[in-house]
Amino acid sequence: MSDLHWMTVGAAARAIATRELSPVDLTKALLDRIERLDPKLNAFIRVDGEAALQAARAAEAEVVSGRLRGPLHGVPVGIKDIIDVAGLPTTCHSKILEDNVAAADAVCVEKLRGAGAIVLGKLSTHEFAIGGPSFDLPWPPARNPWNTDHHPGGSSSGSGSGVAAGLFPMALGTDTGGSVRNPASCCGIVGLKPTYGLVSRRGVFPLSFTLDHIGPMTRTVGDNALMLEAIAGHDPLDPGSAAATRGHYASGLERSVRGLRVGFVRHFHETDTPADPEVTAGLEHVARTLEAEGAELHTIKLPTLGEFGAVNRVILQSEAWSIHAPWLSERPEDYGMLSRRRLMAGAFMSSGDYVLASRRRLEMIAEVEAALREVDVLLCASSMDPACRIDRPADVERTYPRQARTPFNVTGHPALAMMAGLSAGGLPVSVQFVGRYFDEATVFAVARAWERAAGTDKKHPAIV
Amino acid sequence: MDKETIELLARRAGLAKALAKFPDDVTASAKQAADVAEKIKRPADPRAEPWPPMRAGIGL
Repeated sequence: MSDLHWMTVGAAARAIATRELSPVDLTKALLDRIERLDPKLNAFIRVDGEAALQAARAAEAEVVSGRLRGPLHGVPVGIKDIIDVAGLPTTCHSKILEDNVAAADAVCVEKLRGAGAIVLGKLSTHEFAIGGPSFDLPWPPARNPWNTDHHPGGSSSGSGSGVAAGLFPMALGTDTGGSVRNPASCCGIVGLKPTYGLVSRRGVFPLSFTLDHIGPMTRTVGDNALMLEAIAGHDPLDPGSAAATRGHYASGLERSVRGLRVGFVRHFHETDTPADPEVTAGLEHVARTLEAEGAELHTIKLPTLGEFGAVNRVILQSEAWSIHAPWLSERPEDYGMLSRRRLMAGAFMSSGDYVLASRRRLEMIAEVEAALREVDVLLCASSMDPACRIDRPADVERTYPRQARTPFNVTGHPALAMMAGLSAGGLPVSVQFVGRYFDEATVFAVARAWERAAGTDKKHPAIV
Repeated sequence: MDKETIELLARRAGLAKALAKFPDDVTASAKQAADVAEKIKRPADPRAEPWPPMRAGIGL
């Protein structure tokens, strides 16, 4: 079998189940690729190669004996390094937690292993999922495989870079202000922030209790649905966990979008934060394509991106401050400059700011809920620009806030970002689909309709 | 926020060490906080509740 590194999760799992592919061969092929390419990409903080091979051998023995653990049996996965993997350090890409060895797997990792996945190692992130890309941390920042002079988005930067580069077919990311969807947008892959509470946060280092989400990152929509099926579900020990039952996300993917009402939130990228013309053209192309597939297009108005962003920042920085205050007090020199500045901001927010943001949040939820009674799914921008160069802090500072992802951390609705096309410079541009609470199935169906029509799942960076 | 207020709030928050070692970072953080909170609309209804609402949990 050639090009094992571009195999989808679904294809690899099927080939392993029918004994056409050995999980050991697949794992070895990916470890070889990691050894060759990761020095350019820095997607990994730690490759756990020996443990991965051992797990692959066990998976192979299980297949031979007729036992399949689940739908991801024998398929490798990368884990963002703010998520616990038993026996490995959870560093959060920070000197603060360099020696913080996890005693147990996070619930999402435990579920992936239960479905048969093989953990390859821990992936780069922005420090504590907030400060980056930074060059003043113990590990270098991840880079974009479409052009390694550019950033891969963050904070789940190693997850996005590694999936796009074919180092692994799936990864776990986390998303508090867009950190799954930003790297998905920059690296041209599929990243989902599920409904708040659908995936347990237990065993994941918190950034902001009421905004944190854990989500799947893959090269195809179908793989994303498979991965979500594996990690979703109620956790009685996570106070934010929803009681809703897990859906069957992969089974309805190929359904037609004929008659589906798609609400295009144009003001996000037309007036709130005017997008790069290539991004605007990409969004229009997605909208026209869905219309040609039979979807009804409507224009939807929501609160402005500026206000969504402010509500997100006040809540995020207030909650993050409550976590980091002791370390910022005693060890401020052990943080990188970006995270130090962003995390200390919480010290200057008042209780009034936090409560005001939380009250406005509930009104914003009501406004998005009202829109989603008029339409079945929302279509809007994710990033307003292709990824800029990683070595130009002023460009990074300018382009990072130019996005439309934070609204759905504020409201908790499921939101998926994926490739809308490629810029003239050969970098991905992106689109975002947003659904009703716990209706990830419709989000996946619309995303799959776009993917099927545009062939975005066949586009890979030229990195070899 | 003026310099004195920033220093007062920073010390009250336990950031004396940061203030001594990274005064520019402390000032940048304070400015971020002041800028962002101003952009939020105040709910017109004084009864508007925050999210998440209080829910009686297992311990109550």
